[in-house]
Amino acid sequence: MPTKDANAEPSFRTMIQVDMEIASFLSNWAHCDYISSYLARTISHNRPDSVLFSNLFSSALNELLEVTFRTRHSGGALECRLSRLGETDRIELTFACSREEHTFLEAAVARVQGADRQARYLSSLSGDVAPSRDMMLLELTVNYNATLRLEEVDDDMVKIVVDLPLGGLAN
Amino acid sequence: MTAHLSPSGIAGRFKAHFDLNNQEFSIAGSVRPQTIDELAPSLALLKESIESVRGVLYVNVRRLAQMNNTAFHAFARVIIDACRVRPDLRFVVVTSSVVGWTTRKFGRLSKIEPGITVEEYDSEFYPGQSFLEEGGFIPILRTQTKMTWRHERSILPRHGMRPGIVMADICCGIGDFAVLAQKEFEPSRIVALDHSKSSLAYARKVASEFDITGIEYTYGDASEMLLDDDQFDLVTCRHSLQIFNRPAQILKELFRICKPGGRVYITNEKNSHCLGEPRAESIRWTYNEVAKLFEHFDMDVELGPKSRRYLADAGFDDIRVESFMVTNLDGDPKDFADMIAAWEEVYAGDMAAKRGDSGEFIKQFRQGFKDHISAALHPKGYAGWPIWAASGQKPL
Repeated sequence: MPTKDANAEPSFRTMIQVDMEIASFLSNWAHCDYISSYLARTISHNRPDSVLFSNLFSSALNELLEVTFRTRHSGGALECRLSRLGETDRIELTFACSREEHTFLEAAVARVQGADRQARYLSSLSGDVAPSRDMMLLELTVNYNATLRLEEVDDDMVKIVVDLPLGGLAN
Repeated sequence: MTAHLSPSGIAGRFKAHFDLNNQEFSIAGSVRPQTIDELAPSLALLKESIESVRGVLYVNVRRLAQMNNTAFHAFARVIIDACRVRPDLRFVVVTSSVVGWTTRKFGRLSKIEPGITVEEYDSEFYPGQSFLEEGGFIPILRTQTKMTWRHERSILPRHGMRPGIVMADICCGIGDFAVLAQKEFEPSRIVALDHSKSSLAYARKVASEFDITGIEYTYGDASEMLLDDDQFDLVTCRHSLQIFNRPAQILKELFRICKPGGRVYITNEKNSHCLGEPRAESIRWTYNEVAKLFEHFDMDVELGPKSRRYLADAGFDDIRVESFMVTNLDGDPKDFADMIAAWEEVYAGDMAAKRGDSGEFIKQFRQGFKDHISAALHPKGYAGWPIWAASGQKPL
């Protein structure tokens, strides 16, 4: 008789997935806006306040796509999958990138888990330089209560996994 | 006053504006640039605004739907820098909970500079309507919808209602019309929007208890909605233009979210035409006074017959107008009487008191309602409440 692993992660149900060639994605900055707005609207209908949810989810997804846009890629495809478990929506962004970029993303994701994240976010806001990709990821944890992790798919592919607990929000 | 329209393109779907009289810089729309160079005119306008005000600058982001971090950082930088060189100046960022993210994100700035504060503006969308939105009025709204539905269920198909459409019910109140429309006509999607959180909470509770799915109850200001353009086959807005002080602005928004070829359906009253027998004179006097009372609070409950003009002025084609009379003979006369009793409570109670009416006036004012109730319950009596239903098509 099969036994259930008590530590197994509850299963998220896939709702929608968009795949596109990285070259196509990078051909126009507005793709970040198009994809985030379209996907947010598509998965919003059964949330308590669909318009509020769609707007917040679009904000968060757009930042992730902008981070991806600014990453140095090594060709291949971009895969954006959205799945849901209860009030949490999961974004999985999978793409090819250089080893150097991989290392950078790994460090950035580790940094946003730090206890000092709020202070670091405020410090980056008051700094003179334009917002870094670090700051964009940090903002997701500070303002959207997101949790982030990085998974290695294979040698030159990474997957950013972001869980957003926005589903129960309503005015 | 200076105004600035952003460049075209997806990153530039926003508008920045400075109003010197109110010392208010506002930015609205979706701001997602790739580089801050795309924001140069708007950032320059913010800097000019700061230089031209004294004491306080209001930064209005109530209708700022989206702003990426690139843009947020650029605008925040200008404000933070100004706080440092102009300690005499305060910044008040005015946000709305409709948008969802602005209060928290702009709120972070006050931790960096105490001269920046954030105020969430919501409850004061339409202060005049608070009379009609307190919890006690909810049961009577249900009764009203039950009585008007008997008529509207046969009227609506002439105004664009049909199965499978995508519809929005704006100013949905407690959401009962949306539920009835869903059961009767089975639209594929209903978005029901209102600015009263207590009404929406009630609507969601009813939907949950009765296992109603497929209606998206959403919070928002009907005069500046976050909903996208050209989305809905039918937009309904019932008994609401008459209690807004800016009906043309609301209609403009209804037009915007309606698909080309779709229709916007509105219902409104002409309260002075409420009638009854016996004691017609007393009833007529009181309802004439109701119209004046609402006018005092910037609401036009005489709007019904003006619907055609409003729809035409808003740019609609193929305008259709009809009227119907809810009477004591529709169903249970007690329902009609209960509705009038609730009106008396609000109009001759809270509203007349707020206007400062004399005891003598209020006594006579109440008498007309009592006579209307008597007419409704009288075995040979007749009591009526006339309503105008109108719709227009958004040109293709």
